[in-house]
Amino acid sequence: MSLAARISERFPGLLHASLAVLLVLSFSNAHAQGFDEALYTKGEKLFKGNCGACHKPDKNLTGPALAGSRARWEGQGDIYAWIKNSSAYLKTGNAYANKLFADWKGSVMTAQAVSDEEIDAILYYADNFPGPLQVKDDQTPPAPTPVQGTDAWPWLIVLGLLFLVVTISLSGVKRSLDSAVRDAEGRKPAQDRSILQHIGNWAWNNKIAASFIGLFFVVWLLLQGWNALWTIGIYGGDEVAQNYKPEQPILFNHTLHAGKVEAGNLAINCQYCHSSAEKSKHAGIPSTNICMNCHQAVGEGRTPEGTAEIAKIYRAVGWDPEKLAYTGEEEPIRWVKVHNLPDHAYFNHAQHVAVGKIECQECHGPIDEKMDVAEQWAPLTMGWCIDCHGQREVQMAGNGYYDETMARLHNNEIGHRELKSYLEDGKITVKELGGWECAKCHY
Amino acid sequence: MSSTKRYWKDLGELHQDTEALKGREHEFPQEMAIDQVLGDQSFAGASTGRRDFLKFLGFSLGAATLAACETPVVKSIPYVNKPEDITPGVANWYASTFYDGQDFASVLVKTREGRPIHIKGNPRFGINRNPALDKGSINARINSSVLSLYDNERLKGFMMKSGEGMVSAPEGEVDEAVAKGLAAAAGAGKRIVVLTNTVISPSIKAAVAELKAKYATVEHVQYDAISYSGLTNANAKSFGARVMPSYDLTKADVIVSMDADFLSNWGSSTEHTWQYASRRNPDGSMNRHFQFESRMSLSGANADERTAIKPSELATAVISLHDQIAKRTGGAAVGGGSDMDEATKRAADALLGARGKSVVLCGSNDEGTQVLVNSINSMLGNYGSTIDLANHTFFKQGDDAAVAQLVKDMNAGSIGALLIAGVNPMYSLPNAEEFKAGLAKVALSVSFSAYADETASLCSYICPDNHYLESWNDFMPKVGEYALAQPAIRPLFKTRQWGESLLRWSGNDSTWHAYVKGTWQRELAARGGMSAAFEDTWNMAVHNGVYSAAATAAAAPAFSGDVNAAAATARKAAQAGEWEVVLYTTEAIGDGQHANNPWLQEMPDPVTKVTWDNYVCMSPADMLTILKSDDFRDLYIGEASPAKLVKVTVGGVELELPAVPSPGQKSGTLAIALGYGRGANGERVGRAACVTDHNGEWKPVGRNAYPLTAMNGGTMSYSAAASVAFTGATYPLAITQTHLTHMDRHSVVKETSVGVYKAGDKEAYNPSHLLAVHEDVNGDGAIDARDKKPVREFDLWEEHPVEGVGHRWGLSIDLNSCIGCGACVTACNSENNISVVGKDEVRRSREMHWLRVDRYFSSDTKWAEGRAEGRSKIELYRKMEVPSNSPSMVFMPVMCQHCNHAPCETVCPVAATTHSNEGLNQMTYNRCIGTRYCANNCPYKVRRFNWFNYTTEKFGEVNPAWDDLGRMVLNPDVTVRARGVIEKCSMCVQSIQAGKLEAKKAGRPVKDGDIETACSAACGTGAIVFGDLNDKTSKVRGLATSDRSYHMLEEIGVQPNVNYLVKVRNTEEEATA
Repeated sequence: MSLAARISERFPGLLHASLAVLLVLSFSNAHAQGFDEALYTKGEKLFKGNCGACHKPDKNLTGPALAGSRARWEGQGDIYAWIKNSSAYLKTGNAYANKLFADWKGSVMTAQAVSDEEIDAILYYADNFPGPLQVKDDQTPPAPTPVQGTDAWPWLIVLGLLFLVVTISLSGVKRSLDSAVRDAEGRKPAQDRSILQHIGNWAWNNKIAASFIGLFFVVWLLLQGWNALWTIGIYGGDEVAQNYKPEQPILFNHTLHAGKVEAGNLAINCQYCHSSAEKSKHAGIPSTNICMNCHQAVGEGRTPEGTAEIAKIYRAVGWDPEKLAYTGEEEPIRWVKVHNLPDHAYFNHAQHVAVGKIECQECHGPIDEKMDVAEQWAPLTMGWCIDCHGQREVQMAGNGYYDETMARLHNNEIGHRELKSYLEDGKITVKELGGWECAKCHY
Repeated sequence: MSSTKRYWKDLGELHQDTEALKGREHEFPQEMAIDQVLGDQSFAGASTGRRDFLKFLGFSLGAATLAACETPVVKSIPYVNKPEDITPGVANWYASTFYDGQDFASVLVKTREGRPIHIKGNPRFGINRNPALDKGSINARINSSVLSLYDNERLKGFMMKSGEGMVSAPEGEVDEAVAKGLAAAAGAGKRIVVLTNTVISPSIKAAVAELKAKYATVEHVQYDAISYSGLTNANAKSFGARVMPSYDLTKADVIVSMDADFLSNWGSSTEHTWQYASRRNPDGSMNRHFQFESRMSLSGANADERTAIKPSELATAVISLHDQIAKRTGGAAVGGGSDMDEATKRAADALLGARGKSVVLCGSNDEGTQVLVNSINSMLGNYGSTIDLANHTFFKQGDDAAVAQLVKDMNAGSIGALLIAGVNPMYSLPNAEEFKAGLAKVALSVSFSAYADETASLCSYICPDNHYLESWNDFMPKVGEYALAQPAIRPLFKTRQWGESLLRWSGNDSTWHAYVKGTWQRELAARGGMSAAFEDTWNMAVHNGVYSAAATAAAAPAFSGDVNAAAATARKAAQAGEWEVVLYTTEAIGDGQHANNPWLQEMPDPVTKVTWDNYVCMSPADMLTILKSDDFRDLYIGEASPAKLVKVTVGGVELELPAVPSPGQKSGTLAIALGYGRGANGERVGRAACVTDHNGEWKPVGRNAYPLTAMNGGTMSYSAAASVAFTGATYPLAITQTHLTHMDRHSVVKETSVGVYKAGDKEAYNPSHLLAVHEDVNGDGAIDARDKKPVREFDLWEEHPVEGVGHRWGLSIDLNSCIGCGACVTACNSENNISVVGKDEVRRSREMHWLRVDRYFSSDTKWAEGRAEGRSKIELYRKMEVPSNSPSMVFMPVMCQHCNHAPCETVCPVAATTHSNEGLNQMTYNRCIGTRYCANNCPYKVRRFNWFNYTTEKFGEVNPAWDDLGRMVLNPDVTVRARGVIEKCSMCVQSIQAGKLEAKKAGRPVKDGDIETACSAACGTGAIVFGDLNDKTSKVRGLATSDRSYHMLEEIGVQPNVNYLVKVRNTEEEATA
């Protein structure tokens, strides 16, 4: 994580304030005179509605950057007619239009139902982009800060140590004062005994209490050790604060992509990228070409850091964002696997997603709400698995497979008896249909 | 009356040999493997002191603890551009074709994440498809072929000769040199010979023609290591067509096989097996099978009537059969039949009773004998019915005479260049030295072998061919039948298909794929009758792996051979002797091409149950004679009793091999398997072809017996007069037959005759087991031994809720359809990542196979006869123990029986083996602590214990899962088991789970046939049927509730989910019993 990002995490307010100051300054410099905000806003709206799919104000995309287009067309022809119906305008034989058409490899711009005023507004927006509204951008909710466990332990330890030092030095002071008093009173100086010797003496005199305390400490230590052993290699879950959250080669932000639109995120369905979750045992890390479905057009992040991360996708897939073409130089992304099951455990996503109709978040946590970087949320222990299998109701409705299961149970006496025992709690759980059996997950 | 035959698994058991009997009391013959575990570490020479030891202990404990705290970082690398049809975690199946000159099969290749991991027969298309069952018939060599893809000893690129050895060379350089060499040879007017196995590929033929167009002296010689020249030459003489006909055994009511092992390796065996088995259903019309042979072959074991003959007697037996049929059909007799007129008469009677619906097959490679057989089939009117010459096969085109001439020409110096593909003459020719001398005189020799094998290592260049799973290929197995092979993986190494190499040298830059497609376009257009545009036809053919053009009507051509001349040459070819040797090929190794495949080496031979060796099969009585012993215990082979080494001499060639007693072998004959002893001069011919033996020497597996073959009357002869002597030495042999005995119980295999079966009384051939109880069941007022209840009513355990609750998976195994081929064993190896353990471990009965095929000999003596003769009981038992000259044999595949009341489950102290509500006996490896109680308590002895980590270097020679390349063959859905745990058949629970999931996703019930276990899918004869016993409409339920169904060891009441169907032999004698 970069220093700036770290700072921004700790002190979000500071960053925003300084950004605002900077932007206000730049605004006052760049747009001090004659900025028509109403026109700019109108243009922005029109641009996003009609042009944004193929154009960017300041960069080439499928079509050329719009900023400066009016100036480029100056004296070359009728830009309004060109925008309204480019195919028809090409037929007029305008040299510049035909040159543009050739430069852009014959991609045809569809006819646009816009008025001249609207074109003016769009071009005004493009020419004045990014405009002063960056400030407004800043008002959109910032990328959610990662959940940080309330990690007070180090502070407590430091405090404790300080307290200890103070205590020890105070007792030293007390001792020297004491001996000074003894000295002054002409008494024999007290035996210089360390704290340990004090404790030893006390223990010798109070053997029963000391042995109880000793026993307590030993048992407590053993218990702590035993519990600690159980958590080795286990991440996530309520018991363990530290989730496994390895650093990834690309800082992919799950929340931004999958989070709710209301929170300013993109709300892309998980299975748009993890498409094999309902087909295969693996949910699958999306291949880079899936990223390019959107990122061919979206080359910029909301922050410069984001843009840098998107550039990593381009490097991996071999995409030249300047020339808008594939270079053929591919370099697969080496993601770090977050959810690791032991080799002897078989898990199938399709069973849980397609058949069990379980939401991704039930095992992967609030990945769409507060996981900028994917982390292991559930402990993925066998106990955690079978707990769920013991409670979860089988999604039988409308599935012919389970209709057959039920039909067989209804068919004879043993089946009836079994079904009755299943339904004691009013539902048929995974466990009751064999979800606790070894060979469901181990083979 | 149920069969009263007595079964024994080996001679030791038959003769109540003490070691054998002692051995069977223990599941694990050795107390502990501790000596080996320690020996492994060589502690004896260690100089570590006690204090140092404690320091190490402390340090390693600490280090291990610390290391355990760190989660290893696992990288996950997705595709950059994911191919549309690949989903990680989901298997793709591709239709392809296996052909190696020996076997042909249309197959399906299972790939996971782009790696081929399993092969099964194509259930929908191809000549090896059993249309009645929708299964593709294959053998063990075919489904094991996936492993050879990942053999690290395959050549990684082109090689050229440099001094004495071979060095790697760039492709371009080799191409240039070869083109120059070819031009030089053609320029000098010397012949350029392309020496191959039988080529059935239209594209290869076209490529050879292109080479010939460029270099006029090109010539194509085909050579089959196991020759069929006698048969094809005879067809040329009899019908004017030098071909191997198509046989249709589904139409044959009577099959007489004169030493043709058609169920194992003879002819187009992948077709014969399913055709034969489809006529072995006692509820349909059963065929009747006579077998005349010297050794006990797979076909002989399945025969209804088997007659043991010496190889020299084959010609006279054929003549005898010929004359008896000639006399009764008005044909010309040749005279001079054998003294086996009784046996041949019975065969002749049966044949005459089924004219036009019978077939006589002959395995002899003698032209005269085969002409006589053609005459017999012609007289019986079998041509046009069971034998089809119009739609003949293109297999076995090899010509022994042409090969012999080639060797002469090479030595004479008239061969300018030799291109060798698919054959290994330095290994398989009897006159290999002559070939070697000739090869030295050939200026340019190129091998396309994937290994620097016996022949390739002597050539000037090696241009290694792709593995067939990396290749495009086309085939024409029969007239009008086409097949395609498509690559399932990119070439792993810098290899090139040999057809493409030919194209390069002819100046054609086309890829092999484009060339094959082009050939097809021409071929199919010329043939006509394409129903769609070529592009669509081609895509469909790639998808199906097969394209079938309209078949030509079968015809009955007139026989035009000279039987008298044939009989004369046949008699002349017979080499009688006091001892006669028969050279044969085994079910696993075949002609030796696949000797590097550890799955095949470790597959027990169906008949002798020997692994990792070839040996001399002898009649037990003969063995006693040469050992000068009268104690049958001398014949016992076990861990502590090595086999006796004998020396066989044939025409001055000596071969020392262990002798194995084989009941049923003709007295005076010796049978030795070909295909062993690869890489005898240190050539690297593949991973498991050479292993470290008991003396610590790195040696070939077995000995090469090809030097014992010889040209006889223009064709290669696989039998000869021989002499044999006991050397006095011994040799350890890994033999699985004595390890897994069955406690002398007789409820294991059940056999009856078709007459008894058809009479319809189930109790007569499949009596249910009753146990005496202490209550008055029959109501006669007395409690006595007549009060019996069926076994099913006795229960030690609480009833599992199985009937009607969910699924209950089960297997039904038909002993009638099982021919014992062992394809299920290797399929199971491949599907379930079963470790190969090597000869030494198998010898200690630690083989890991989840599925074994037990074979039982039977004795001919029967209760009823003995009683009628008034023998005493003791006398009768003694008589029953005497092996008959020709015992019949039963094969029985045994895997975990998935008992509903499983004895293993009750004794596991950690509940590592439990019962599922789907009827499966589950084994949880990660819970197992290795007490082996379960294995000791298993009445079927199907549980295997991991004595070692078989993926370590110690087993690297044999276990494919040792190196990174070999590991690619592992099934990612199945755990690789570690040391110290028990494993056993899971009934392919991974396939069950996957099949259920497919059904759930589609929202429909599991259909019968959706799910197949590896063994049932591999069983082309349909002997193994898998399904849901709770599905009232399923096939397996129908079989399980049929009258022939029984459970192995039913009396112990463990209620298995695997049932067997009583074997019904089509014999007459027992029908009256």
